[in-house]
Amino acid sequence: MELEDVPGELLKALEPISRFGGNIQSIMHQRERKTPLGRVPVMLIFEIGDRARLNRVLAALRARGVRVTQLGEREGAVRVTALLIGHIIHTDIRDTIDRLNALRGVRVSDLSLAMGEPGQESAARMTITADDERRVNSAISNLQRIASRKKLLMITSIGAG
Amino acid sequence: MRIVLIGFGNLGRGLSRALVQKAGFLRRDHGLIPRVVAAVDEFGAVVDEKGLNLAGLLKTAEGKGTVALHRGAKRGRLALQVIEGIEADVVYELTPTNIETGEPGLTHIKRAMQAGRHVITSNKGPLVVAFRELDSLAKRCGVEFRYSASVGGAIPAVGLAKKLLAGNKIREIRGVLNGTTNYILTRMSTEGAPFEIVLREAQELGIAEKDPTLDIEGIDTACKITILANSLLGTNAGLKDVKVAGIARVRPEAIRLAQEAGQTIKLVGTAKRGSLEVGPKLVPLGHPLAVGGTLNAVTFELDLAREISITGFGAGPRETSSSLLGDLIDIHRTLGG
Ligand SMILES: NC(=O)c1ccc[n+]([C@@H]2O[C@H](COP(=O)([O-])OP(=O)(O)OC[C@H]3O[C@@H](n4cnc5c(N)ncnc54)[C@H](OP(=O)(O)O)[C@@H]3O)[C@@H](O)[C@H]2O)c1
Repeated sequence: MELEDVPGELLKALEPISRFGGNIQSIMHQRERKTPLGRVPVMLIFEIGDRARLNRVLAALRARGVRVTQLGEREGAVRVTALLIGHIIHTDIRDTIDRLNALRGVRVSDLSLAMGEPGQESAARMTITADDERRVNSAISNLQRIASRKKLLMITSIGAG
Repeated sequence: MRIVLIGFGNLGRGLSRALVQKAGFLRRDHGLIPRVVAAVDEFGAVVDEKGLNLAGLLKTAEGKGTVALHRGAKRGRLALQVIEGIEADVVYELTPTNIETGEPGLTHIKRAMQAGRHVITSNKGPLVVAFRELDSLAKRCGVEFRYSASVGGAIPAVGLAKKLLAGNKIREIRGVLNGTTNYILTRMSTEGAPFEIVLREAQELGIAEKDPTLDIEGIDTACKITILANSLLGTNAGLKDVKVAGIARVRPEAIRLAQEAGQTIKLVGTAKRGSLEVGPKLVPLGHPLAVGGTLNAVTFELDLAREISITGFGAGPRETSSSLLGDLIDIHRTLGG
């Protein structure tokens, strides 16, 4: 989408998504690629339950004067949750996430940390969203490899992978 | 039916109590008159071919700790002598588990089969070390072999799968098969208390052993998943084929994170053709495997029925006598009784 380069515009674009139950996963604000008319291209990725809700979001955006220039859809994103236990911060959680996000059609969509007492191990819960079953499985086996290299205990769901 | 009991500890006694208590019921409803002709422990044996007075023997064993001090008992290591020398239909092998050699149970079972006795056991050792060998030895000797009590205590996992679900192909078996670790995980999740504290509590309550290593490291669960795979999936696996992780690193904070996402952490054994695994897993709250306390649970994934789960007590002499007695009645029926 393209937004006016004035404060509050982005918020205006995001509001309908959460109002209709969407789950925003990433926002890319491409300020350096302003259009000739001075608008800022913004790429939004969000997840939403069904087509009817998507239509309601799009209608609401249009009503607010947000210009949607391109619409891509992927059906049936698959989500898995994994827990990691160990020295999560020391072993660079940022790097762990980057490695997963670098996989095609895979992104880390949620992360919660529970820090242990000083010197103790910590725990993290990670939600991985992928375009399909195959990609999710490959993300899980990648994470498994990263976890064993970083000596983290990885706990996945029964039946996953 | 003439019965020999090898091992007269928790389970030998639990079974004997059930036999005393249910004598009338077994005769009336099953046409079964069990007669225990010998009971053996590490220190001695009592034999009476007309049938021992179990109530009296229980009193001695509970009071003095061994059958060797019962009236008329012989002292010494007599298991093999009794197995081979005393005429019997069924030998119960109820001695302690040794997962490295399977002994003494392995030799007891082999000799019993070779002597033409049907065998019922609760002992995981021989089953983990030599399942195929024992299974084919039983066939060669023309005897029945049952081991319901070795996995899941009172839960009839093996019988359910082999008999009532016989029309299905089993795709996968998953189980919460260790009461000690399940108790620890449950207490960590309800109290938020750290592993070490909960373990100590479990030891004080007699739920965890003084050396809980086999439980905590997932090895006991690995034994049970090996037995289930060998007996129900037709594999020929040993302990070394199971990828094992225990629960020592599971922290209450991790369980809390799981709960915030509608899940909990259980130590789950998984068996499918080509992969045996034990480790902590996320289980949705409300799933049949999300059982609390010392409970056990097994889920079968099947081609026709899709999913069948059972839950129950995984240990305890009275509870487990349900499986031991069930195996006896099953053999009695198989033989046309
Ligand atoms: N307890 C449960 O709820 C449960 C549930 C499922 C499976 N199991 C399995 O069932 C088996 C029995 O359990 P348990 O709790 O009854 O154990 P237990 O209380 O330790 O009893 C073991 C018995 O075996 C005897 N024994 C040891 N070595 C022997 C030998 N060489 N010859 C003859 N007898 C011998 C012991 O005699 P002494 O006392 O004289 O040494 C004792 O009477 C174990 O393999 C266990 O893993 C137990």
